[in-house]
Amino acid sequence: MRRTWHAGLVAALCCGSTAIAQPDLLDVLNEGVEAPTVPVSATFKDTRVINVQSNETAASGVLHFVIAHRFGRLNEGAYALWGLDNASMKMSFDYGLTDRLQVGVGRSTLGKTYEASAKLRLLRQTTGGRAFPFSLTLFSSAFCTGTRWPDPERTNYFTSRLSFVHQAVFARKVSDDLSVVLVPSMTHRNLVSTPDVAHDVYTVGLGGRYKLTSRLSLNGELHVFAAGRTPDMKPSASIGCDIETGGHVFQLHLTNSSGMFESAFLTQTAGTWGAGDIYFGFNLSRVFTVRERNRD
Amino acid sequence: MSAVLNTADGGFAFQVPIRGFHFEKALMEEHFNENYLESEKFPNATFKGTVVGWSSAWADGKPHSVQAKGKLSVHGVEVERTIPATLQLKGGKWVISARFEIPTKDHKITIPEVVREKIAASIPVTVNCTLDPR
Repeated sequence: MRRTWHAGLVAALCCGSTAIAQPDLLDVLNEGVEAPTVPVSATFKDTRVINVQSNETAASGVLHFVIAHRFGRLNEGAYALWGLDNASMKMSFDYGLTDRLQVGVGRSTLGKTYEASAKLRLLRQTTGGRAFPFSLTLFSSAFCTGTRWPDPERTNYFTSRLSFVHQAVFARKVSDDLSVVLVPSMTHRNLVSTPDVAHDVYTVGLGGRYKLTSRLSLNGELHVFAAGRTPDMKPSASIGCDIETGGHVFQLHLTNSSGMFESAFLTQTAGTWGAGDIYFGFNLSRVFTVRERNRD
Repeated sequence: MSAVLNTADGGFAFQVPIRGFHFEKALMEEHFNENYLESEKFPNATFKGTVVGWSSAWADGKPHSVQAKGKLSVHGVEVERTIPATLQLKGGKWVISARFEIPTKDHKITIPEVVREKIAASIPVTVNCTLDPR
């Protein structure tokens, strides 16, 4: 009997409170309005996590300029100021043709390599009405070495200079602070050292960033081999931080890859963290708005 | 922006979706959403309250200077505000206009030292809206 009476009282109280409460005018405002579907922005601060591509592209009409350095190996010791005496450099220019499509060119000192790339945002993570859980960005690049032929006497083919990389960048902004990428990559080398070495190397990369403040984040990435690996290839692993100041993003990092372009860091990483083959480096990016958008 | 006015008691609510602001420079828009307004956490700015001394005699077709008192919420921070506004009933529709400032500091929108010169410390707001009866 007592139990029933209590339950009855609770029910009465609830009814009472709903009857007295005035409707919140903000609720009235949102009545019958469907939550808008909003694309998730700024999954990463830059178009790269460290070495690997993030899902981000240069916005429409924006030129994204990156100058990147990798100094020498930390294990070169005090004589080479722990690698700072040497540096390898890369410059790249990426332009957003639309908010989804970016094209770019670059040049690295490593192998005097030229590159041309295209990057397409195929799917975008969204929240709200029609939520979608992840972004998918496709990246393809062609690389051409520019070094003189080691043996000019033999028949050398231009095509031997070329390598190609195709990547699918699956990205998810898990929370405001945490974003992750999963990047399966296929690297094709036209020229390999011996006939029994595979032309195609398949890797899977995992990367992420964690925001410590709104302008500072910790980043990391690791690539493991799925197929085509030779014993001299070591997995590329990097950690670093992003510092954002207005139109610049500074990415400072430690990595066992000296190459700053895909076919180099995915298939030509020769050193390991355990042996101290660690390079300090940075990517410094700057955006230039070439064509302003309609504000609609 | 959406707004509602209860003509029985002068209660009102305004709502502005932060994502609705677009900028000429994409990076400005990203910084606006990511670093300053944090629109993923706080998707709307709202102002909710009552018109001080609401009177049904204001429905005479003439403009009336009034005080709108309530809670202004921007960046998830509520501030008690009294904002001067003009109300007028035109052809059966209430027309509301107001101009006021929102100091970013009041709403914990922090602007770093290095960009302080480029970013306004106070946001000027102009409101012009016509409400359909329902």
